Amino acid sequence: MSADELLAGMAALSGDAPAKSRGVTSDLTIDETLLLHGMGWEPVDVVFGVSWWSIPYGFWQWQAGELTEASTAFAGAMETATAELRDECARAGGTGVVGVSVEFAVHSRHVDVALAGTAVRRIDEKPTDRKARQNAAFVSDLSARDFVLLTRAGWEPLSLVAGASFVVAPRRSAGQWAAQKTQYVELPNLTQSLYLARERAMERMQSAALQARADGVVEVKLREGPLGNVGRTGVRVMQFIAVGTAVRLGSDGHHSIAPVMVVSLDDALRQFEATSLRQPG
Amino acid sequence: MAADVAPTDGGSAGLPEAAQRRLGHGPWSSSLSVADFASCVALGIEPVGFVQGYAVVTWRYVSGYAGRPVGYRTFTGYPNLGDTGDYMEQWRCPHGFVGGEHRMFGYNFEQVWVEQAWRQGYGLAFGRMLEEAVGLGAHGVIGLVDDMTPLAGTGAEEFSIRGTAVVVPGAKPPPRPFTTFLAGQRLVKLLEAGFMPVSVVAVCSAVQMWGYCMTAYQMVGSAASWSGGVAGVTSIDQVDRAQRAVRELAREHARAELGGDTLHGVSLQVSEREIGEADLSLQCVLKGTRVRRFKDFDPLPPPTPVVRLT
Repeated sequence: MSADELLAGMAALSGDAPAKSRGVTSDLTIDETLLLHGMGWEPVDVVFGVSWWSIPYGFWQWQAGELTEASTAFAGAMETATAELRDECARAGGTGVVGVSVEFAVHSRHVDVALAGTAVRRIDEKPTDRKARQNAAFVSDLSARDFVLLTRAGWEPLSLVAGASFVVAPRRSAGQWAAQKTQYVELPNLTQSLYLARERAMERMQSAALQARADGVVEVKLREGPLGNVGRTGVRVMQFIAVGTAVRLGSDGHHSIAPVMVVSLDDALRQFEATSLRQPG
Repeated sequence: MAADVAPTDGGSAGLPEAAQRRLGHGPWSSSLSVADFASCVALGIEPVGFVQGYAVVTWRYVSGYAGRPVGYRTFTGYPNLGDTGDYMEQWRCPHGFVGGEHRMFGYNFEQVWVEQAWRQGYGLAFGRMLEEAVGLGAHGVIGLVDDMTPLAGTGAEEFSIRGTAVVVPGAKPPPRPFTTFLAGQRLVKLLEAGFMPVSVVAVCSAVQMWGYCMTAYQMVGSAASWSGGVAGVTSIDQVDRAQRAVRELAREHARAELGGDTLHGVSLQVSEREIGEADLSLQCVLKGTRVRRFKDFDPLPPPTPVVRLT
């Protein structure tokens, strides 16, 4: 950057702000903004979607098997929050939302989902009907960098998709407990519960992708394992939650991005070893 | 709101004498890392001093009269809401009169006193930092770092903000120094992209939610017995509305300071506290750098994807 350009920037501070009715907000980094601009996209607004769904009292039970109420609450909260994000995006004049942060929490009595991202649009895009935008708006937790890479490869993001399942693990009999107490053995009741939760959650995520007419789901993130302290004491609930971005191949088909292989000439980091200073012997 | 805050007199007269002496001579100091320092010097920006501002403010509701504390429920079931600002919603119990303990009304409302206290604390610290920068003849302050720390047991909060005051040799001093959270390469890239930082924008919004009976049943999971239409697995409408409102208020507070400029690098921090069964206190702090376009730039050529061989 030249000195003259920097002075021009300083001079701009003495003038008035541009006469626009609505300022743009964006949580993108400058790198992401530049990358998006290079692809003909620009940020429009920071958008949010939040939803809490209740779980009725008394269903965290001793019976083994899936707790459908918790799974339904998670799906409902995710769907409501995503729809709200789409609506905010359409109101702001965006085509879609990138870099969505997905935060969720499963409590005994409610499931909370909070989404936040930046609505973006093509720089040369003509304004269209809000309803049409709302239906067409994509929602993705991909970073702007990944969004650019995906688009260059000929694919388009469609929607956040998720699947969740919560399964109560069956209790071991007294005989099993006593026999396994002094052994290192697998606990099949817990493993099987985890597998059951896994199958249900993955199936739900895939069927959500199918509903969105996607070809696949990328960047799937998992949360799995014991749910922690919910419901009655002693109830072991295994959770499995999968969240990703559903994608579809564009009409032009896949484009090879042909990455270039590079070899860094930097030295690998050398750690200073204090012991090497010691004299042998 | 930081962008509204100006030094008290446009100079350094308000600074403590010791600070004036310290800033008046001697070598400059800076909070920049070596890499950030090198980037800024290469760009033509020179550091002139490490500037800081602090303020410790009261952090509790202060009533102007001997009334009920704001927000607390009373035996009548009607809380004292105080100043509810731009947002207030009300819910009514669908059951009719059940008993004195029954939550017959629910309220979501903006807690203006929280926002005012936050704005005052942040604004004081920011203004004091800016005052030091003006005293040094700075054109801007870069690499800002801010913090808010509760002082345990005192009902007080400490606000602090610090950064490196800089000058651009040959430039006309702006009406007030520009400020930004960015420094080093990120600042260089921002300028390369044709954006000039104007000021940091930091706003706080607060919403209080007093749940009515149905929200309380949903939150504790007993809505099936007292359904009123919200039995089973359902969306908790009142909470959703409060969560949305606190974020939208923060965004609108920030937008009110932009004047058509762009808010870059937004960070959002939402905190929630359950202050009782089905009662929530929500707070949202939104921060970013207000930037102004001063030149067009050519779009970057499509970047080359690389695979690094190690």
